[in-house]
Order: sequence, then C-alpha cells, then structure tokens
Amino acid sequence: MNAIILTAVFGVILMFIGVFAKSKTLPRWVAIGGLSLTLLTAVQEMVAGNSFFRFNHHEMLRFENFNLLFIVIALAVTLIFFLLSGSEIEKAGPHVGEYFALIFFVLCGVSLVATFNTLLMLFIGVEIMSIPLYILTGSDKRNLKSNEAALKYFLMGAFSTGIMLMGITFLYGGNSNASFFIDKINIGVGTMPVLMAFGVLFIMVSLSFKVSAAPFHFWTPDVYDGAPTVFTSFMSTVVKAAGFFAFIRLFEHSFGSVQDQWQRLVLFITIATLLVGNITAVFQQSVKRMLAYSSIAQAGFMMLAVFALNNKAKEGILLYAAAYSLATIGIFGVLTKMNDFTIDGFNGLARKQPLMAFCATVFLLSLTGVPLTAGFQSKFFMLMAAVENGHHIWLVIVAVLFAAVSAYYYFRVIQAMYFKAPHQEEETNELSSSFKLMLGIIAGLVILIGIYPELILGWLYH
Amino acid sequence: MNITTLLFILLSVMAVGSAVMMITSKSPVHSVLWLIVVFFAISGHYILLNAQFLAIVNIIVYAGAIMVLFLFVVMLMNLNAETEPVKNYRLQLVGVLSGGALLLIIITALNKMDVEMPIELKTGDTGLIKVLGLNLFKNYVLPFEISSVLFLSAMIGAVVIGKKD
Repeated sequence: MNAIILTAVFGVILMFIGVFAKSKTLPRWVAIGGLSLTLLTAVQEMVAGNSFFRFNHHEMLRFENFNLLFIVIALAVTLIFFLLSGSEIEKAGPHVGEYFALIFFVLCGVSLVATFNTLLMLFIGVEIMSIPLYILTGSDKRNLKSNEAALKYFLMGAFSTGIMLMGITFLYGGNSNASFFIDKINIGVGTMPVLMAFGVLFIMVSLSFKVSAAPFHFWTPDVYDGAPTVFTSFMSTVVKAAGFFAFIRLFEHSFGSVQDQWQRLVLFITIATLLVGNITAVFQQSVKRMLAYSSIAQAGFMMLAVFALNNKAKEGILLYAAAYSLATIGIFGVLTKMNDFTIDGFNGLARKQPLMAFCATVFLLSLTGVPLTAGFQSKFFMLMAAVENGHHIWLVIVAVLFAAVSAYYYFRVIQAMYFKAPHQEEETNELSSSFKLMLGIIAGLVILIGIYPELILGWLYH
Repeated sequence: MNITTLLFILLSVMAVGSAVMMITSKSPVHSVLWLIVVFFAISGHYILLNAQFLAIVNIIVYAGAIMVLFLFVVMLMNLNAETEPVKNYRLQLVGVLSGGALLLIIITALNKMDVEMPIELKTGDTGLIKVLGLNLFKNYVLPFEISSVLFLSAMIGAVVIGKKD
C-alpha cells in the first residue's frame, strides 16, 4: 500500500515541479529522493508486514511477501535506473518534470499489478502502466521514428486492452460465482466452461502482447527502437517484468487447477517467442534493435515460469526480474553514451573506455546466462521450474539450445569491443565519474546476485 | 413472446446491423453516424438489463461527447473515400479467414453452453443512481480513486505531446 500511494503522490509533486520550477536538474533530485523514500517504506512494509496507510479496500489488493518483494525489486531497479540515466532523461526533451512524473505513475501501475486481487484492479493497473509508456515513447517529438513508435504502440496497445476487457467479461460471465476476485474464478479441477475458456484465451493473448511474447511481438522492435533510448531501457525491464508477474499471479490463482488445459498454448507461445527473438536478433546490425529482439528472447525464458507455475517458477521470476532488469538497464546506459548504435560503433571501445567496456561485458554475459552472473542463476531457476513441472521436459532442451544461440549475438558486441580496432579516432563522449561509479555498482550487483541469489530470495521466507 | 424478448431482438438486430453498416460504409462520416446508432441500441439493452443510469451516461458520453469529437476529427482531416489507401487484397483475405475462424469457434462454443442466470437483473433497484453511488464510494472506492492516476497521466500526456516546445 505504501508504494501505491507514495508513487502516486510523488508523481503529482513532480508534475507540479515540472510546471513551476525553472531548474532542469531539480526534478531529477526530487525523483531520486522520492523514490528512495518510497523504496524505504516499501522495505519497511515487507519486513514489518504493515503499511502506513490503512483503509478498507474490500480485499481488492493482496499484500503477501511475494508481491511486496516484487514491488521492492521494481522500485530498487528504477532507483538504479534514475541514478544511472537520470541525466539522459533530462536530455530527452523539454518536459523533464513530466517525464519523471509519468515514470512514477508507471510505478504506481506496477505496484497495482503486483498486488491485484480482482480483475478490476488488474485492468486498472495494466492501463496505468501502459498509458504513460505510450507518451514516453513519443516524447521525442521531432523524431519521426519516435512518432511512429508511439502511434503503433498506442493503437496496438489499445487493441490488446480491448481484448483483455473482453476476456474479463467472458470470465465474469463464465464463472458460476459471477465474481471478479481471482480466487473465486478458480473452478477447481474439471473441464472449463466454454465462456471461461474464451476468457482464459483472450487474457492470455492480451498479456502476451504486453510482455511481447510471440506471435504478439510485432510492435516490440519498432517501439523499442523508435523510443528514446532511456525510456526503452525502462519499459523493456521493469514494465515487462511486471507484466510477467501479473501473468503468473492471475494464472496461478484463477486457472492453476486447470493448467493441463491451457499449458499447451503456453508451450507454443514459449517456443515461438524463443525462436523469433533469438533467430531475428542474430541478423541485426544495430545494437539497439538487437537488444529489442533479445528482450523478446528473454521474454521467452520468462514464459517458462508461466508454463511451470510452481514455487521454483515464482522464485525464478523474482530473480529474473532483478537480473534481467539490472543487466538491461546497464547495457542501455552504455548505449546512451555511444554515438553510433551499430555493432561497428562498439569497435575498440575497450581501448577508449576500459571500465565501460568491462561493465558492458558483464551485462552481456549476464544476459547470455554465463555462470557467476545473475543471468545464469535466473535462467537456472526457470529451467529447474520447468523440469519440476514434469510435463514436456523437451522444452528445457529447446530453451538451452536457444540460450546458446543468444551467445552468438551478445558475444559479437563483446568481440567488437575487445578484438577490433576503432576505425578512426573520433571524439568519445566524456563520462562523468558518477556514471562510471553507478555502472561499476550495477556490474557488481549482477555478479553478487549471480554468486549469492539468496540475497533476493532470502527475503521471500524471512 | 413477451415484450421484453421482442425488444431485445429488435435492439440486437439494430445494434448488429448498424455495426456492420459502420464497417462497410465508404464515407467516414457515415461510419461515425452508424456508430452513434450502435450506441443508442446498446443503451436500450442497458435499460432492458435494469441499468438506467448506465444507459443515460452511455448516450451522453459516447453518443454525445465522444462521437461529436470523432466527427470533428473526421471533418478536420477531410477524409473521404478517394483518399483512402488501397488495402492489400491478400491481407484482407487473411483477416477474413482468421476472423471467420474465431467467429465459427465462438458460435459452436455458444451452442454447447448451458444458459443460466446468476444475477437477477430485471427487478430491484440495482441500476439506480443511488445504489450505484453507494457502491462506488463504499465497495469500489479504491478502484475509483486509483483511476484518477490513469486520467492524470493521460492529461499529462496530452500536455507533453500537444504543447509547442
């Protein structure tokens, strides 16, 4: 509850700062301060188990350790994102305060999506999460690609919202309790009523769209490529992880008992996502676009959690959210400092910026899933969850094969940085020492979680 | 056949018929007008379901405000049938096939369904504004308040996108 209310309040405060304050750097510091405060109260709520704000919400939200831990992860990752790339947000356009306000509103939506107990709150949460993103995508108004991305994202997002609403309607009409509460929708073991099957299908489609799982991924490359790079790094991490979190919670509580009836569909989506993401990423020349496809590929791995839907999967998605978000925010932070987004633009970076190249290597290794990095642990948890689930074990082999494919395109960047000479002596962007420090801290966190995942998972059972 | 069933059938035919007309009309202005007819038919359905307030709001907000806005946009952009881009024939075919498949499955599934009426809608004061207001500010106060964040972000979006730099 703390996170939901404080993010909304700080969003409003930042909105007014954007209107009245002339300073360009003030919004960033207010945002960092506000987010730190929100994070502290969220941790307090998780540890102590009670919120500062109490009122009767009629069981529409549910605060368990699992949900609260996800909120803490999302807030912490966003704080790191602010500290690393806050100055880039200031360069994105003239409305700095508003950008920060919109990010806070997204966080409010993320907190709702993490704690919803009824389909109504799920819907509102998903909408609060998406609408600010459409705006952030189009914030670079002079850039045609940004405009195109925003329009595409908005139209397709609105369409998928419509599908989700239709699914919710079917579920409401299909369950004999006529209820929006996710536990009451659960019909227990048996064959799903026809209307409910439609509801499950439609909600699956719209949530797959939100997390950019194939075959509903077509918007992803254009939107991630067209949006300003800072905002891409935010929406491909925290928001995507929140989408998966909603996916898992809804399907566990409402449709967990009839898993055998929809598992095949998830199996198909998982394999399609892994296939499309990994194979297309191989052919990309622009690193930004490659990262967009790689985020589809990572979504394929996260789909394994929806497929398995057991305790390991729930631990895994928390770990994956942290590991994938940290590494992606780091690599996008590096990308914002590059003049040239093509892979050739990274040539010889290790000679010009040894620290940045090293950190980028750590992030890319983590995304690949090399041992001793957080990416390895999270992928390991996902695969273990799929094995424990027991159905369709061959999916694990497919996933491992595609992880090997992903090594090809991630290592191409590493190879360019370390083994290729820079073609000409061009001016490199001067890096501030705080940026270098943050980059080092993120790389350290990635390795720390990789060695000691209990750092995150320990909170689940304290 | 009592009057409710008759009304239901009439309104349904009206809604579906004008929805089809809306899609097939060449001129965008006609499409918008047909859509208004759809909204009126749906409002009729709301009244049949004993949701009077919803019916009125549906007419005021959708048929009134939003569709007038639509009309303005259509007229400002000066869209007409000649400037409409030629659509890919193959794409249309795929669309018809997939949409038709979905329709077929829904129809077959609906045939198998046993109809039951979980909530009594025809009597009582469920749809009255007093009941609605009490519900909204008692049981549903959290979603009601939280949706203000949604509208606020939409407003900020309008400013960020629409304002001249």
